[in-house]
Amino acid sequence: MPSIEVFTQIGMTHYLVLSGLIFVIGLAGVLTRRNVIVMLMSIELMLNSVNLVFICLSKYLGKIDGQITVFFVMTIAAAESAVGLALMVAVFKRYKEVNIRFFEHLKG
Amino acid sequence: MGNDFFEITVNAIKLVVIFLMIVQAVPLLVWVERRGSAFIQNRLGPNRVGPLGLIQLLADAVKFLGKEDAPPNKAVKLLYYTAPVFALIPGAIAYCAIPLSTPISVEAFDFFGRHFGPYRFAMQGYDINIGIVFILGISSLAAYTILMAGWGSGNKYALMGALRASAQIISYELALGLSIVGVILLYGTFNLTEMIAAQSGPLAFRWGSNQYVFSFLPNWGIFFQPVGALIFFAAAFAESNRLPFDLAEGEAELVAGFHTEYGGFKMLMFFIGEYAHMMIASGLVVTFFLGGYLIPGFTVDEIKNWVGTFINNGTAVSAVVCAFHLLSYLLKLTFLMWVFIWIRWTLPRFRYDQLMDLGWKTMLPWALGNTIITAGLIYWSYQ
Amino acid sequence: MTADAFLFWFLAILTLGGALSVILMANPIYSALSLAFTMICLAGVFVSLNAYFIAGVQAIVYAGAVTVLFVMVLMLFDLKHEGKPFSPGVASNALKLVFLGIFSGLLIGVLMISHFFAEIDVTDKAQLPQEGSRALGVALFQRHLFSFEALGVLLLIVAVGTVSLARSKGGTHAKH
Repeated sequence: MPSIEVFTQIGMTHYLVLSGLIFVIGLAGVLTRRNVIVMLMSIELMLNSVNLVFICLSKYLGKIDGQITVFFVMTIAAAESAVGLALMVAVFKRYKEVNIRFFEHLKG
Repeated sequence: MGNDFFEITVNAIKLVVIFLMIVQAVPLLVWVERRGSAFIQNRLGPNRVGPLGLIQLLADAVKFLGKEDAPPNKAVKLLYYTAPVFALIPGAIAYCAIPLSTPISVEAFDFFGRHFGPYRFAMQGYDINIGIVFILGISSLAAYTILMAGWGSGNKYALMGALRASAQIISYELALGLSIVGVILLYGTFNLTEMIAAQSGPLAFRWGSNQYVFSFLPNWGIFFQPVGALIFFAAAFAESNRLPFDLAEGEAELVAGFHTEYGGFKMLMFFIGEYAHMMIASGLVVTFFLGGYLIPGFTVDEIKNWVGTFINNGTAVSAVVCAFHLLSYLLKLTFLMWVFIWIRWTLPRFRYDQLMDLGWKTMLPWALGNTIITAGLIYWSYQ
Repeated sequence: MTADAFLFWFLAILTLGGALSVILMANPIYSALSLAFTMICLAGVFVSLNAYFIAGVQAIVYAGAVTVLFVMVLMLFDLKHEGKPFSPGVASNALKLVFLGIFSGLLIGVLMISHFFAEIDVTDKAQLPQEGSRALGVALFQRHLFSFEALGVLLLIVAVGTVSLARSKGGTHAKH
């Protein structure tokens, strides 16, 4: 079944598999890292992999709306990271470290 | 890149030539900067080596190359050595997208029995449809160079300088981007070549059903977008870290900012990067607001016809026309570079809070207002 | 091997390498720099999918603004005495990795099954107009205008919230 064509004929599946792998890598980062900023970065990776799916499908289905969604996702990702970093700065000022375990002090 | 061997070769050579143009302009600009600063401050400047001190450039280059490579003990070696290399890349890639002159069209010819079809070589590295977005995207990567240099040096002053410089760059990028929106609305395109084409002829605009023509003025963007031009030029100063915005290297408080620990050729690379940013800024101002390579008073076709009365070979005509327009472009570029140097040696440096206030509280609202008013005027002029 | 295929494999390997180094680097600053590299490579992938405008926006927004913010914040923190970068516990980590493996296997398996066995028409329809950015603008300001405006309101709220979160007494602009 697999032949040389898998390497020479690039189609939709290639891009989808690439984005799936990036998503899994981002998920692994969120699960295994302790530094909250690195976890935020892994979330950015996952968002980017979803963007890649949207753009790939927008090309292969011939619809522009996928790119519009990517536009929105990018805006929200920028906003999310701004809020996340502001939280980080607040936590760092208090504990001089940005480990995820300090977030349990947030509960009242 | 091209369809056959000849076209690909010419396009590749073109890229190399444009890169070399940026690199080779730097010694000349350093000379102009030193002589010009001396002129402004009523001094003499370097005048001993060669006529007018021109050979000073070669002496400087030899000095830069011959210096000892001395990385600091606590430096992060990888970042410390890659930062100067990356300083060159965004500038060089972005400048290649700016059109320098009219395209040269080569007629079909036979060479060693092989037929080569008609070609059209644009006088720019590569013609991209979304030129502005590309240039903004590439030049926004310049912040990384500074951060890498600051962190890699392992020096407190370098790190503080890098943080200041990158904060400044991403703050002024907003004003820079917003001031271009008016230009994009005006010309209705992202493509730089189409923008220049829209600026040919005398100043003309329509309001409702009336057409107004001012035949004594060229149809340049600066007459439509004066506020945008001012904000863009000022933000471009901040982007290239030049005085009055060179907070990154405020000597009194930060020694020399992010390149404290750099010397010799690595320092020169940062220098080239800074001058490349100046060239991009000047080139973009020329393209957006000063008619690009167009010669005021004449359209491209008029000049082509005029040259055609002397020469009747199509290739030669387009080459001569291209040379004329390249000269016009270079004159405008040189003037703007001189303005850069002029302002550097005239104005004092801002304080850090003044810099941030100017960026966020003055230039950003003005650019936003400019965008809204431009959009409204364009909307109503087509009613 | 065509130029398209070469471009795809080149960019895919670079992107995956960058993404892996984001989560494997012990120093968060290197993670952030690798993230920037990954973003730029992804912009390249977007170009190979003919989404030029989105690629430019990706370079400006992600690589030029968001990641620079990450790097700046990390350099400000200067985390000297950071503990272990990865979460402790061999068994729990092994369990996490096992489930990640199962998840990625499922994901890629589904894609493979749909590629080889399902009768889906995945040929390039190429209906997108060549002038992509114009079509994008028309779609954005006509069909998706409401979401666009809602996003503007969201951004305003986020800006106000971020400033109120991050500011503190005795900051850089405090009046004494």
